[in-house]
Amino acid sequence: MALETQTLQSNSSVDADLADPFLIKLRELIYKVSGIYHQEVKFYLLASRVRRRMAAINSGTLADYYDRLTTGSSRDAEMRSLLNEITIGETYFFRSKPALDAVSKIILPKLMALNVKKSLKKLKLWSAGCSTGEEPYTLSIVLLEHLAQKFKDWSFEILATDLNENSIAKCREGLYGEYAVRNLPAPIRDRYFTQENGLHRVKDEVRAAVKFERLNLQDQAKVLFMKGFDLIFCCNVLIYFDGVAKKRTVEHFFNGLIPGGYFFLGECETLFNVYDQFRLVHFPGATGYHKPVPGESTGGPA
Amino acid sequence: MKPIGTDVLRRRIGNLGTLPVMPSVLQSLTECLSGNPEKVSIDRIVELISYDKSLASQVLRMANSALFRRRNEIESLREGVMSLGIWRIRDLVYSCTLPALLGKSKDGIAPTVFWRHALGTALVSQHLAQRLAIPNVEKFYLAGLLHDLGILVNSILFPEQFPAVLKLAETTEAPLYEVEMHELGFSHCESGRILAGHWKLPEDISGTIEFHHHPRMDAPHTDLTCTVYLADLLCRLRGLGYGYYEAREFDLAAEPAWQVLQKKYPAAAALDLALFTFELDEHANHVRDLVDSIFSGATVAH
Repeated sequence: MALETQTLQSNSSVDADLADPFLIKLRELIYKVSGIYHQEVKFYLLASRVRRRMAAINSGTLADYYDRLTTGSSRDAEMRSLLNEITIGETYFFRSKPALDAVSKIILPKLMALNVKKSLKKLKLWSAGCSTGEEPYTLSIVLLEHLAQKFKDWSFEILATDLNENSIAKCREGLYGEYAVRNLPAPIRDRYFTQENGLHRVKDEVRAAVKFERLNLQDQAKVLFMKGFDLIFCCNVLIYFDGVAKKRTVEHFFNGLIPGGYFFLGECETLFNVYDQFRLVHFPGATGYHKPVPGESTGGPA
Repeated sequence: MKPIGTDVLRRRIGNLGTLPVMPSVLQSLTECLSGNPEKVSIDRIVELISYDKSLASQVLRMANSALFRRRNEIESLREGVMSLGIWRIRDLVYSCTLPALLGKSKDGIAPTVFWRHALGTALVSQHLAQRLAIPNVEKFYLAGLLHDLGILVNSILFPEQFPAVLKLAETTEAPLYEVEMHELGFSHCESGRILAGHWKLPEDISGTIEFHHHPRMDAPHTDLTCTVYLADLLCRLRGLGYGYYEAREFDLAAEPAWQVLQKKYPAAAALDLALFTFELDEHANHVRDLVDSIFSGATVAH
């Protein structure tokens, strides 16, 4: 099952990229630097982004580009540009269905049972690095859907933060193009959006519980006081931090969660060798991190 | 539904006419491979497999699939045996023989779903064993492949009850094992063990079949059972399960099976279980492709 046993299915250019050893080396490098792991099925995406960067700096071959990323004089700046390219435009509503299924089918019932014991019928979420708002609004919709049936006396609030002011402004506007809503089931789209000149605007109902704020996750003084969250999402943000900053940020998230709370990273990010207080938990099709309640045993018969 | 209980299971199985017989090619192959490996005749193995033309061509197709192939196309069975080795060829013959057995049951689990899960568990068991540097890994594939033989038995012996059990597991999003215990009073572990005995499978394989949902920590084949337990779980979590959503979360590192392996094999400390899961998805895609190509036309949702 080593790489050498994986072979090309056809002769298309995408598959030609698969064979390029420098693309595989690039994947390893990107993983090492940012923790983003490109699965084989995502190679075409990696290849197209790398090609865009290569065109921008007139690099003719993958081998040359790899050299520039590793030994070139502006390697750090180029790595940053590449990571920007990799994470850009990736966001849309209901992006990671398995993680959202885990939230509504497995996590919310657990969190609600936990909070009810404290006579608290409220949930508190944080979308850290919320970009242009697709993620916090998605979470808002998931919660509205979940609570609508039997839990009308429950409420929730979602804090959505990003470093980029332009992004926060877009969040507040709440107006999205076709690309952002392409994954939405039609009934959800009809229920929570209104049409405006071919664009889609989130309804007030979805906005009501979401609070947007510009925040630098490296701002210790602020982040230190962000507490009491049941669930935190932080997708494709840590990749921009070095090891120390990464660890410190994750530690803040850990401390910001209630015992029993959950933390989600981007689809292919991992906390291995970053921070070890969280328990890695597997859900169908998704991995997340759990802050244990003291004395809790998480294993069970399978 | 009133639980059937193990007595009825034993009585029904006692009527051996209803149980699937071990395909004769497997019997002869096992005999052929049981002696001194130095004296194993390659001609004899090729001859045995060639009796069944469609089996021979499936084995060849599998040998050339992305999951198994070496550098060059394998054009004949003889070449396959020479290039992949006798253990691997045995694995492939077992792999290609299994689906025909299930084909005899009309309702219940779809053969493609069953086969994907069997093949996936086989590959992940072997892969995990290799990553942990467990010695003598040649049995892990076979143990993974056969771990759910009991599902075959249940489908055939209980054609009314078993499809209902499967349906109930699907609607309650619960693990099949739990629903079997509750509804039937036994699980595919017990019935698999009985068929394994009937087929005279080696003790470590039979033991794995019997204990793959609750591994015993003191058995001589604990490594095998624990590895298959984890591989089975991982496959169910990554879209190679029984074809439905299991609303469960698992902390693999807290599973006794993982802890046993971790204590024995230092390589476990360096294994990032999240990353291992992401890598597994790549193999899962290959497994789907392979199953679809061999059962051409027979595609199912996963």
